[in-house]
Amino acid sequence: MIRIENLSKDLGEFFLRDVSLEINDGEYFMVLGPTGAGKTILLETIAGIYRADSGRIFLDEQDITDIPPRERNIGMVYQDYTLFPFLTVEENIGFGLKSRKVSKREIKRRVDELANLMDVSHLLHRYPGTLSGGEQQRIAIARALIMEPKVLLLDEPLSALDTQTAERLRQELKNVHSITNTTIIHVTHSFEEAFLLGSRMAVMDKGEIVQVGTPNEVFRKPESEFAAEFLGVGNLFQGESSIRAGFALINVDGINLASTTLKSGNVHVSIRPEDILVSTEKIVSSARNSFKGKIASIVDAGTILKIAVDVGIDVPFVVAITKQSFDDMNLKTGGKVYITFKASAVHVF
Amino acid sequence: MLKKLKQSKTKIITVLFSLLLASFILVLITCVVTHTTLPALITSIASEEIQFAIKLSLTTAVVSTVLCIGISIPAAYALARYDFFGKSVVNTILDAPLALPPLVAGVGLLILFGTTSFGRGLADAGLVFVFTPLGIIIAQFFVNVPFMFRILRGTFQSINPRYEHVAETLGCTEAQAFWRVTLPMSKNGLLAGSIITWSKGIGEFGAALMVAGATRMKTETLPISLFLNMSCGELDLAIAAATILITISLISLFVFERYGGFTRVF
Repeated sequence: MIRIENLSKDLGEFFLRDVSLEINDGEYFMVLGPTGAGKTILLETIAGIYRADSGRIFLDEQDITDIPPRERNIGMVYQDYTLFPFLTVEENIGFGLKSRKVSKREIKRRVDELANLMDVSHLLHRYPGTLSGGEQQRIAIARALIMEPKVLLLDEPLSALDTQTAERLRQELKNVHSITNTTIIHVTHSFEEAFLLGSRMAVMDKGEIVQVGTPNEVFRKPESEFAAEFLGVGNLFQGESSIRAGFALINVDGINLASTTLKSGNVHVSIRPEDILVSTEKIVSSARNSFKGKIASIVDAGTILKIAVDVGIDVPFVVAITKQSFDDMNLKTGGKVYITFKASAVHVF
Repeated sequence: MLKKLKQSKTKIITVLFSLLLASFILVLITCVVTHTTLPALITSIASEEIQFAIKLSLTTAVVSTVLCIGISIPAAYALARYDFFGKSVVNTILDAPLALPPLVAGVGLLILFGTTSFGRGLADAGLVFVFTPLGIIIAQFFVNVPFMFRILRGTFQSINPRYEHVAETLGCTEAQAFWRVTLPMSKNGLLAGSIITWSKGIGEFGAALMVAGATRMKTETLPISLFLNMSCGELDLAIAAATILITISLISLFVFERYGGFTRVF
C-alpha cells in the first residue's frame, strides 16, 4: 500500500499542494487532470526524482520520503518512452537488472519473459529509434516491470500514440495488471482512459487533489465545479449496444440511443451537453435521437445555462444553452421539452 | 518576368561573391603548399627539427584536450542541469577566453605562473610552466577550454533529464545514471568537442609563445617552428611546418563535419 500525506513540492511552473492519497495493493489507480495540474510532478515525487518540500510518502508502512529512487523499487514510464537510444531493445529491458548485478543468464531469461509478456520478442535486437511509438512504449513498460516494482507509475503512457494503437495498448495494460497484479498509478488527461482502466481515481487541478473515488462516483457526482467541467459530465450512460441498419442502438434504461460509432456489447456512452438541442415543440430534423422530457433543474453557469432534462431514465440529460436562448424560450423547471441530438454526437466507448 | 530577371541577377552576383571567396582561400592554401618542391618538402619534414615539432604539437594538443574534457564534463553538466547562485555570471566568465586575444591570455598566464606565489609554489613542487612544454599545454588549455565547454553544455542541455530519472528508478545512483546514460548519449558532442579542441591546440601560437617562449627544439611546436624558421629565412622548413598544419586542419574539419557537424558551437 502506498500512503501519501500532505505532500507539497514547488518547482515554480509546476507544483503540488498538500496532496494526500491512499492507494491499495494491486489497485489500478488513475489520476485525471488537465495539462499543468501537477500530475507528472506527483509521480516524480513518488518515484523520488524530486525531494518533497513537506509531507511524507509511505510504501508498505515504510517511510520512503527521503530515500533515493533506486532504493524505492518504484517503476516509472513516461509518455515519451525515454528508451536509451544507444542500447538495443534487449539491453534496454535488461538495464535495471544489470544495475542489480544479476547474472547474465538470469537477465537473459527475465528479458525473454518480459518481452514475451509485452509481445516484443521479435524486436530484441533492434534499436529503439527504428521502432513505432506503440512498440517503444511496450518496451518501456517491460523495462520497468522487469524490476518487479511494488508500484508502477505511468505518466500519460497512451497520449503520444494514435487512437488504434492506444486502444490496443490500453487493453494490454489491463491484461498486464491482471497477470502481474502490480499496483499501478496511471496519470492521464483522458476521461475515457480513466473510466476504462481505473478501479479508483483522483481528479487533480492546480497541484491539488480535488476528488477521489471510483470512476462512477466521480463522473456521477463531481464534487467541484472544476471536476464537472473537466469531465464534461452530464451525459454519461452505460448500456447494451447492438448494431442495426448501419447504426448502433444503445439501450439505456429502456430508451434507445442511436450512434454512428459501431460498437456492440456492453458500452459506455457520452454526449456533450453542448451537442443537445432543446425545443418546446417536437421538431422534425435529420437528427436520429429525439426524446420528450421535463426540466428537472436549471443551473446558471454564467454565459451558459445547464438544464437537466428528465426523460424517464435513471439520470437526467444535461443540456447547455446560452442565456439568450433561455430567455427567448421562457423555460421553467417542470416544463415539458424535447431534446434532440445527432447520432454522430453520441460517443461510444 | 522582370521580377524573375531581378532574382536571377541577385543569384549571379551572390554566387560570384561566394566563388570569389572560395578561390581566395584556395589560392592561399595552394601558394603555401606549392612554394617548395616535393623532394624539398619531404626532406624538411624528415628533418630532426620538424619531427620534434610534430611530436611536441601532437602530445601537447592531446594532453590539453584531455584536460579540457576532464574539466569541461563536470562544469558543463553543472551549468546545463542545475540552478545555483551566480550561474549566469559563471556562464559569462567561462565564455570569456573566447573573446580574449590569445596574446593577452598568454601574458596573464605568464604573470600568474611566473610572478605570483601560486606559480612559485607550483614551480617548487616541480611544475614549471614558464618557458617549458607544460606552459604550452596550459596555454592551449586556457584558450580552447571554452570550445569544449560550450559544446558539452549544449549537448547536455539537449538530453532530456528524464533519461537520468528513469535510470535512477532502474537502480542507478545519480553518478551511475550519468555514466551509463548521459555520457553515452553525449558521444557525438564529445567527439566534436575533442576534434575542435585538439586541432585548435595544434595551431595555438600567441598564448603559447608568451608563456613557453620560442626555443628551438624545446618549446618548438609546429606554429612556433613556422614562426622561427620564417624569421631566419629557413623557408623550406617553414613551409613544411605550414603544410603539416594545413593538412591537420583539413582532416579535422572533415571529421568534424562528418561526425559532429550538427553540434552547435556558438
